[in-house]
Amino acid sequence: MSAIAETVSRGQTRRRMRVDGWRWAGRIFLVFMLLYTALPMIWMLITSIKSGFAATQFPPQWWPDEPTLASYRKLLDPQNSVGQDFLRFFWNSLFVSTVTTILSVIVAVPAAYAFSRFSFPGRNFLFFAVLLRNMFPAVIFLVPLFILMRAIGLVNTHGSLILTYLTFGLPLAIWLLKGFYDNIPVQLEQAARIDGATRFQAFILIVMPLSTPGIIATAIYSFIGAWNEYIYAYTFLSKNEQLTLPVGIQRFFSENTTDFPGLMAASFMMSVPVVVLFLVLQRYFVRALTEGAVKH
Amino acid sequence: MTIVTGKAEARRKLQPGRSGALRDIWEHRADYAYVLPAIAVMLIVIAYPIYYTIELSFYKTPPGLQLRDKTFIGFDNYTAILTSEVFWKVTWNTLIWTFGSTFISFVLGFATALALHRDFIGRGVLRAILIIPWVISAVAASYIWKWIYHSDFGIIGAVLVGLGLADRPPNFIDNVSTVLPSLIVVNIWREFPFAMIMMMAGLQTVPEQLLLAAKVDGANAWQRFWHVTFPHLRNVSVVTILLLAVANFNSFIIPWIMTGGGPSNASHIWITHIYELAFGRQRWGVASAYSVLLFIILMTLGYFYVRALSGNERKEGGA
Repeated sequence: MSAIAETVSRGQTRRRMRVDGWRWAGRIFLVFMLLYTALPMIWMLITSIKSGFAATQFPPQWWPDEPTLASYRKLLDPQNSVGQDFLRFFWNSLFVSTVTTILSVIVAVPAAYAFSRFSFPGRNFLFFAVLLRNMFPAVIFLVPLFILMRAIGLVNTHGSLILTYLTFGLPLAIWLLKGFYDNIPVQLEQAARIDGATRFQAFILIVMPLSTPGIIATAIYSFIGAWNEYIYAYTFLSKNEQLTLPVGIQRFFSENTTDFPGLMAASFMMSVPVVVLFLVLQRYFVRALTEGAVKH
Repeated sequence: MTIVTGKAEARRKLQPGRSGALRDIWEHRADYAYVLPAIAVMLIVIAYPIYYTIELSFYKTPPGLQLRDKTFIGFDNYTAILTSEVFWKVTWNTLIWTFGSTFISFVLGFATALALHRDFIGRGVLRAILIIPWVISAVAASYIWKWIYHSDFGIIGAVLVGLGLADRPPNFIDNVSTVLPSLIVVNIWREFPFAMIMMMAGLQTVPEQLLLAAKVDGANAWQRFWHVTFPHLRNVSVVTILLLAVANFNSFIIPWIMTGGGPSNASHIWITHIYELAFGRQRWGVASAYSVLLFIILMTLGYFYVRALSGNERKEGGA
């Protein structure tokens, strides 16, 4: 090694300089991306602690002269009508997202397991049919689903949202979970079967515990998807007391268009639950998301 | 991979010929029980809407949702669409939107993944911050950027004026020539993190030894990237680009909330246009015909997507 090092040392110093050049370019690029990513969010936070008057100054106050939490207090105060609406929207979003998540996992777990383990006729066709759903935009399903929901009496109920959210949640849930099951050695189940467990017992006792990270990731994905969903909620719900946050915020602020601090505070509070959930569990999530795509 | 990979493999080998297809299905009846709930949900809320959309696309429909009064008009909705000027305008916008967003998101995401690949202090925190725009709702993102672009109080306008680059704050999203690029900037903001996550995962699969060997052979950083790293990321790149392209093609929230397709259709893409035709002007038949066309385009994209995915599986099986 040392002989090689000596003979190429001159070339190597030059090369190291070039590598450093790339590294510096990388750092500068990362700083740029950090600014691009973070500045809008920082500006949202700064605006949210301004008064309505301070927000409409030109040139803008980079930092408010009198920072105030008035917008947050207003939104979280169950005593006034603004707070009542906001808290109700928040609760609606939480309810719809949670129920969707639970149902997604219950339906997706057996399906993904079957797609991973069994080989029944039509398996590939069904799997890709499930995947293809996510190629289609919500908009083309809106009219027929609206009519369907009206026919079965679900219009203006949270049930209509939960049922439709399942349709885009399920394909991804099945895909994510299948990736996880594919990575659990079949031998573990076979060993359990030899020890006398039924297939179902082997599934519950061996496979389920091992796939917990996958199930967590799937649950996060369903939850975030449902929490952020807009088009169906915008179309299916018309009563103020049922709206979820994305639609509620819009309805609400189209009425007083100049309240930008309030709008930014609401946007911030709407983002907090999903961002916290994501950051705490991102390891599972990222692994599940990329599992299928990176294999060679 | 010489060990038996499980029941599935064993069964596949035992599968009888075509003559036993029905018996085969019957023998696997227990397996279907696992996928039945999922299939049932999908059938109700997908197969039925698709059928209904195709049907409606051949009818002239009255406004309002009294759709029983529709009259059959054959392909008239389709010819009406293809001969309208708006169609070509919106199609052009959709192409710019889809390709612009996909290409730049992918390049930025990939570059960020490369820059984050080497470990350094604070890497985890930085990565987490960079992912956040992807997690927060597109509705919130739209309002945040609407405020940033605001023609009176927007921060970008203020900075441009402060630096002496503009006399007064420019009108980013009320201007026909700047609206689409401005929306694309917002879209990229939300979506480059996805490309970043995918490419970071892909980078972890590039064998270190190969890079080292290339280095010993005198390849410089760029050559190592181009000849070793990049070919290894072909699969994940294809999947990422296709997923981004489909997502962008299907975007709704950002253009809808920020501009509603305006000014004068300058930011209308297919999806927002279909939505406006259906729920704004209640032209259900025309909107359905649009949806069917969309469907055909997406099926084509879907075909490539599935091929990219099953290409993965084939290689996996052969390894």
